[in-house]
Formats: sequence, structure tokens, C-alpha cells
Amino acid sequence: MKKLFFAVLALALLLAPLVIESSFVLHMFILIFFYIALSVAWNILALSGNVSLGHCAFFGLAAYTSAVLYIKLGILPWFGLVAGVAMALLGAIAMSLPMLRLRGPMFSLATIAFGEVLRQVAITWRDLTAGSEGLTIPFETGWLYLMFSSKAPFYYLFLILAVLSIYISHRLYYSAVGYHLRAIAADAEAAQSLGINTSRVQMIALFWSAGITGALGVFFTQYVYMIEPEWAFSMMLFSVQPVLNGIIGGIGTVSGPVLGAILMTPLGEYLRSYLGGLHQGFNFFVYGLILIGVVMVAPGGIFPSLVPLLKAKGWVRNGPQETTPSSPPGNPPSSKETSA
Amino acid sequence: MKKVFIILIMVSLLLPGGFMGKGDSRAAEKLRVGVIYPISGPMALLGEESFRGAEIARVMRNNKGGVAGQQIEYAFADIPDVNAAKSETERLLSQGKVKIMTGAYSSSLGLAASEVTCRKNLIYFSVEGIADQFVERGYKTIFATDPRAKLFSAAQVKFMQQWLAPQLNMKANELRVSFIHEDSAYGSSVARNFEKAAKAGNVKLVSVIPYSPKAVDLSSVILNLRKDKPDVVVAVSYAADAVLLGRQSKELGLDIKAFIGNGGGHSLTSFQEALGPTTEGILNVDFTQFEVNYDFCPGLKEFVATYKQMYNKPPLSGHSTCSFVGMNALFDILEKTKGDMDPKVFRPAALAHELPPGKSANGWGVKFNEHGENIWADPFMMQWRDGKLVTVWPKGPAVMEPKLIKPFSK
Amino acid sequence: MIDFIQVAVSGILLGGVYALLSVGLTLIFGVVRIINFAHGELLMIGMYLSYLLFASIGLNPYLSVFLVAPALFAIGVIVQRLVIQPIQEASAMMKVFVTCGLFIVLQNLALMIFRGDYRTIQMDISMAALNFSGISVSLPRLLAFAAAVLIFGGLYLLLKYTFIGKALRAVAESRPMAQLMGIRVQRVNMLAFGLGAALTGIAGAFLLPFTSVYPTIGSIYTLVAFVVVVLGGLGNMVGAFLGGLFIGLIESFSGTYISPALKEATYFVIFILILLVRPQGLFGMGKGTEEVGLK
Repeated sequence: MKKLFFAVLALALLLAPLVIESSFVLHMFILIFFYIALSVAWNILALSGNVSLGHCAFFGLAAYTSAVLYIKLGILPWFGLVAGVAMALLGAIAMSLPMLRLRGPMFSLATIAFGEVLRQVAITWRDLTAGSEGLTIPFETGWLYLMFSSKAPFYYLFLILAVLSIYISHRLYYSAVGYHLRAIAADAEAAQSLGINTSRVQMIALFWSAGITGALGVFFTQYVYMIEPEWAFSMMLFSVQPVLNGIIGGIGTVSGPVLGAILMTPLGEYLRSYLGGLHQGFNFFVYGLILIGVVMVAPGGIFPSLVPLLKAKGWVRNGPQETTPSSPPGNPPSSKETSA
Repeated sequence: MKKVFIILIMVSLLLPGGFMGKGDSRAAEKLRVGVIYPISGPMALLGEESFRGAEIARVMRNNKGGVAGQQIEYAFADIPDVNAAKSETERLLSQGKVKIMTGAYSSSLGLAASEVTCRKNLIYFSVEGIADQFVERGYKTIFATDPRAKLFSAAQVKFMQQWLAPQLNMKANELRVSFIHEDSAYGSSVARNFEKAAKAGNVKLVSVIPYSPKAVDLSSVILNLRKDKPDVVVAVSYAADAVLLGRQSKELGLDIKAFIGNGGGHSLTSFQEALGPTTEGILNVDFTQFEVNYDFCPGLKEFVATYKQMYNKPPLSGHSTCSFVGMNALFDILEKTKGDMDPKVFRPAALAHELPPGKSANGWGVKFNEHGENIWADPFMMQWRDGKLVTVWPKGPAVMEPKLIKPFSK
Repeated sequence: MIDFIQVAVSGILLGGVYALLSVGLTLIFGVVRIINFAHGELLMIGMYLSYLLFASIGLNPYLSVFLVAPALFAIGVIVQRLVIQPIQEASAMMKVFVTCGLFIVLQNLALMIFRGDYRTIQMDISMAALNFSGISVSLPRLLAFAAAVLIFGGLYLLLKYTFIGKALRAVAESRPMAQLMGIRVQRVNMLAFGLGAALTGIAGAFLLPFTSVYPTIGSIYTLVAFVVVVLGGLGNMVGAFLGGLFIGLIESFSGTYISPALKEATYFVIFILILLVRPQGLFGMGKGTEEVGLK
């Protein structure tokens, strides 16, 4: 049953661009694939209990590296991709310092600061990045330039990226590294006392997470055709959104972020397109209410809440372990509050 | 029970997928124009103001019979960020049965939207967005009606040479100028152009000081100025930062001979409301505002009246007029093409279209060069006098002579 | 020499402002253990309320604190009871993201009601400055600084010498133990959130005379407040005050001597560096695993 479902889904996704004529619908698919890949990539790090709110740093670093190399030196985006991912990994090395020394919310705040600093640097270093005025990618088409005049090649490109991201996440999750990551998320000190090299394991997660995010930065820039600091280092678009997707879908699982991205991306677009014109800010107001509502109803995320249902249908065997980063190590588990 | 809730939520979240197939099919009898502005997010203030100008243009033109016998209809989308600009443009051009895009107030948003539009070989008619890049990319389907950033700096340098320096009994090349600017696209583009213009005009640019418009405190900008001791400060500010700069300049006793703003926050009525008499004497180069020679700006009175009627308040700044004039130019061109938006027909019509300066609601002319740049649009120099932003230069639109008043002294 | 002193003075005044707007957050974090993404929005609400009172009945913001504080207290209690408490069991990050949703809702509610326009009030005091032989001291900022000192001082005394204060500290230190001691933890959480919100509202009223309010102002202040609170050592009152001063001075000096565009980035970098060396913040106690009680 499960295999049939996924086979049909795969076929439908592969054939979609051949039947769908609307450029916009294909664009929506591309956006969803992009956010699936981004949310899954972010989640790889979150598996360890490190909630990063600075992933826009990796996105922006790689995007700018590739864009600047292309525009100023004519270096093709494929090489820009390698250089961009390398830059993102350098950024990961920088982020590893706070990651290994700080816990929970302190780490998250440090990552926010990290993203903000890079954004400001991109704005101020005008000689390199053209500052806030931004850079537009000169018009070319073809696989050589990773830019196309129709949507179909972009569609397949981002579909492949989404699948790759899920695949990497899946392999990591079910490997020894993944197991160790989840152990660290549950109780880092206990994991360490069991002999797990927590630093090494977290670094692995961080590098995969940052590397995929960086790659996405390069490809997405070639899709949007321009780059500027507020966008490339946007906290809302590339740091917070994948986290929201992950939380809605269920952190600590592979499918959670996928589900979250599939649900939240069209929702945000739909609200903005159809409510945005009605009254200033109304669409975001509704979006925020939905966010709060979903978290209240399904605090662990939608996917984990569905697990019992899916288990009954035989789609999930062992179910995801609940590894949402709960109270930090050292505190007794929070006991149910009786009405005082 | 909880499970039911969750399933209900999932279903309702998936519903938006339904909208993906829906297209707007009422296209037939109306002239549809795609219109995008940021009316939420950090640029909401002036994005909304600009959109109002565009809306007034539509209402007024429809009252006069529309364009080529058809009523004009806007397919509007809010674009708070670059991703939204791309998505909405894609949506309007694809589902929305729109063949021409206009907007967008913000240069970066407009650049993103125009990339999408021009790469599909459709017309992007930019009515507001001063970045030089709009017309430097080699696209043949882009037109920009408002003046480019370089014209703002050119106007400032010219004003300094022709009026300010003589008033101060100095030679133009003796003037010491400091340039402060908010570091978004707007401020940065004007700054870059000013650096070039100052060099060409032989004006001594002592320092360029960027700052973030979101800053809570700008005393460091003022203290830097105190160190540099310029004669003239040229400033590009966004919104609340203009007020903050003015207040802290007064508090910290900034001693300069002249202050020239560059639109944005310095043109807003809220600037005057917040600073009161302290605004006296502040110069400001910008899109046409409202104390201007009405003979040079036919239709401006009617515009202001319509604005007050539709929105119960006078216009916030000249951004609305900018979009208004731009949309009118679009309608004039479409009238000539009988509503045809195909670039093969539109482009020659646009290139052939001419409106001499002094004939539009804000005094701009319309004449596009081959890059799509309107070479007959010019910013004017204004000055805050007695709580009003009056046009003082050049002679055509001016209602008053400029006066040398020490800034922040009242 | 004069300039150097001026930079320092401006920095200290700015620091006082930062301390003032962070005190609510440090209380809320210390007790309720939640990083409140919507903190800046509480500040914004306080400013808008104060503005409305000024614009409609001409009430001086320094007097409107007496109305704004209770209003924000009520809002804080409601938020804690209706939004945070139901998910008390969920992970810390879930709670943070509820506040993120709250931030989106409140910011856009403000946009819907007030539009993007920035509101400024003009009072005689708005641009007034004392002058001490060339050094200018902005009067409204000085008042905000004084308010910060008074509030921090008052809070310190409250925490140390009153029963309520002890209850707050008890819950901050160990929720289950406090419960075992008979303290009604849910009530204490509501009190903490309400008090934190009220203090933030007061900060808003004190900011209004010299700042503008507009819908997106919240996110700017939230970030600074986080930095101040974390630097000071979460839940540490004295630390938060000193942290505010520290950030204010860094911002002022880096803005004047490096570049105004980089001043925020500078204090972010220093913030990260300090955390790397001392994860518990400048004045925190313990090993940097946050909750170490209110001091």
C-alpha cells in the first residue's frame, strides 16, 4: 500500500511539468521543493537538539560567493556551487564554536547574531557585493548557467535537490551518527558518558546541514535572478521559515519538515496573494494565528501526532522517536502541573 | 478528538492547493494591468502611499472613459519581500492573465519583478524605483518613468554650484560636503551617484557616512559629522530616522551651514509634525511635492482633491504623485496602441510618446531613450518653510526663492 | 577630549534605555523560562497605548505609565494563561515558536490598525538637552535612564525582601521544588509574565517622548533585549542593567570610531565572542545552562 502510494506520487511528480501548462503552478512546485530541501537540511542539525536560527548565513554566504564569482569573474555557477558550498562550510566552522560551547536558547541567539552580522557586512562591503543595491544575474539560458527560460528544467532541478536532501537526511537519521545525534538531543551528558564523541557527531550534522543549505542558496539565486543582502540573509525567509516548517511538521523526524514545508509554503503564498490586497498585514495576521493554533493543537508537530494513525495503517513501523529538544540536560523532566 | 482536529487542520491547510489551478477568467472586457507594491512589511509606509497614487490614476482615468474604450482593472499583489515579488509576478503573469507589470516603489523589489517579466519578454513599466540598474540590463521591454538616482545627485551638485556656494560667498570647490545615508538600496544608490557627481563637479566630499535606518540611536552619526566639520550635509533617510537625525542634531548642537535631504523621510508630513519649527530651512531634493507652481503641474490640484476624497487625508508625500504620473503615461501609451500590450507594438509606441516637461501633474515630462529611461523627468529642490515643503528650484516649478537658514537652529 | 566624553555619555544614556527595555524580558525568562520573541511587540503596544493617550486626551506619557502598566500587566497575564500555559509541557522551542507566532500576529495587528506610518509625539522635552560645558545630555533619555535605575532597584528589593519576590525566585530556581513547598506555580508564572509585560509597557511610555513608534519597531528592540539579557546572565537583574550599559557603550564607541553602519554588527560580534568565552554571560553564575535563578 505504502509502496504503491509513493510510486504513484513519484510518477505524478515526474510527469507534472509535461501536463501542467501554468508557469505559476510550476513555480509553486519549485518553491515547495526548495522549502522541503531547506527545511530538511535545517532539521539535520536540529536532530542534535541545536536549534539554529542563523541558517540564512549559510544560504547567503554561498549565494553571494557564487553570484559575485559569476558576475565579476564570469565563473560558471557550477564552479560557483563548489566555491559557495565551501564558503558555507567555512561559515559552519564559525558556527561550530558557539554550537559546542552553548546550549539551547543561548546557541539560538548566537546564531541569530551570526546571521545579522553577515547581513550587515554584505550591506557595508559595497565594493564586493554592491551593497544594498544588489546584483542582477545577467541573462543567459542553459544548463551551463543554471538558468532557463522555461520552468520545467528548474522544476526537475529543485525536485532532485529536494529528493537528495531527504535522502541524505534519511541516511543520516538511520545511521549510527543519527542515533548518536538523537541521543545527544535527549541528554548530551549521558550520551557523552556513554562514549559518544558528541563534538564530532554534531559537527557532522552541522556540515551536512550547512552544505545543503549553501547549495540551495546558489541554485535559488539563479532562479530569482538577483541577490541583495536583505533577501540573501533574510532571517524570516531562510532562517525562521524552515524552523517553522520543521516545528509544524515535527522536529526530530525525517518526514516532519517535508510535511511542514508542503503545508506551510502554499499556505503562506495563498494568504498573501488573496488576503494581502485586502488590508495591510491581514494575511500575516492570519498566518500567525494559524501558527499559534497548530502549535497549541499539536505541540509535537503534525507528523508525530499522526503517527498512531499511520502505524495502524502499517505505514510506519517504529515511528519517530520524540527527540524534540526538551528541557536542557541537568534539569529533572518537567512533571505534569496539577492545577495549583 | 485531538486526531480529528489534526486531520481537519491538515485538510484545511491543503485546500490552498486548490487555488493553484484557478485562473481569473474575467479578463475579456477590461484592461488588466498587473500592479505590485509592498503594503506590508518594513516598506509598508511608502509602498501604500505610492499605491494610492496608482489607484487614483486608475479611478480618474476610468471616470474619463478608460483606455481605448475599456475600463482599467488592476490585478494587485502585495510584495513585502523579494521572494514575494517573484512569486506574485509569476502568479499575475500566469494565472492572472496579466500581460504588463507595473510598480513597485522599492528598487530591489522592482528589479526582482522586472527580471521575471522581462525574461518572459513582457513589458515591465516601472513607475517608481530609482535604481540605475533598471535600465542598465539591456532589456528591451522595460520602461522607467521616474528619474534615475544619478539625477538626484546631479541636482544636488548643480544646486550647490549655482545657488548655495554663492550664497555662502564661497567657490563651489571650496564647499566641504559630508554625505550621510541610510544603507538600504535607496540610500546606497544615491550615495554612489553622489560620489561620482561630486568628483565631476569638483565638490569636496569630505566623508560618506552610512547608517542603518532601523537604528535606535544616531548620535554616532552626528558625532562623526562634528568631527568632520562640513559646511553642507547631504542626507538620504528613510522614515523615522530622518526625525531621529533632526532631533539628535539639535540636541548635540550640530553646526552646519546647510542641510539637503534627498526625499524619503525628509519629504514626509510626519517629519514636519515631529520636528515642528526645527525643520525650518531644511532643503530637500525629491519627487515633486505639493507646494509647487500649479501652472507647471497641471492636474495636481485635481489629484490632491481626489486623494483627500478617497483617503480622508492629504497626501503623505510626493511618492503618490510619482506613481500617478507614471500610470498616466502608461495609459496614454496604451491609448495609442489601442490597449495592445505586445512588446512589438508597445515598445515603438512608448519610444514615440512625448510629453514635454511642465505638462503632467508633477511637472515631469515623458520621453524614453532606447534603454527605457525617461530623460525628461527631473527631481526638484524643495525647502521646509513655515511648516510647508515648498519648491524653490528650478525656476519653472518654484513658488519661492530659496533662503539660507541655519539648520536645526530653531 | 570633549568628543570622547560625549561619546561615553551618549553610550551610557543609550545603555540605560536598553536596560530599561530589557528588564521585563529578564524577569520573564528567569521565571517562566521562555524566550519571548514577542517582547518587542509588548514594548510596541506600550508605546502605541501611550501615544493614543497623548494624541486623544493629551496625557503626558510620564503620567500615562499609570494606565499603560496595568494594561500591559493584564495583557501579559492573558498571554501566559491562554497561550503559554497550555503548552507548558512542550519543549522549550515549541514555546519559543508560539511566541514567534504571537510576534507575527501582534506586529501585523498593529499594521492593520495603525498602517505603516510612524507616530511621533512632540513635547517640549523631546529635543531638550542639558549642557555641561559642551557635553550634551539628552533630557528624555536621562529620564529613561533614571527610570531604569529606579525599576531595577525596585525589582531587586522586591525580589530580595518580599514574599512575592521569594516566590518568584523559588519558581525560577526549581519549579517542582517550589510546587512541593506549596507555591502555586501557575499563579506565579502569570504574575511574572504580567509584571514583565507591565515593566516593558512602562519602558515604552518612557521611550515615546524621544522615539517614534511604528509596527515593525518591535523586532529591532527584541534582538537588543535578548543580547542584553543574555550578556547579563539570564535572570540576573543587576547583570541585565550592567549588560545594557555595556551594549550602549559599545554601540556608541563603535558607531563613532568605526562606522555608524557597523555599530550593531559590532555589538553582535562582541556578544558572540563573550558567549564563547563565558557561556553564562558576563555576570551570570553557573555553567551556562541558563536557569540559575533570579538574583
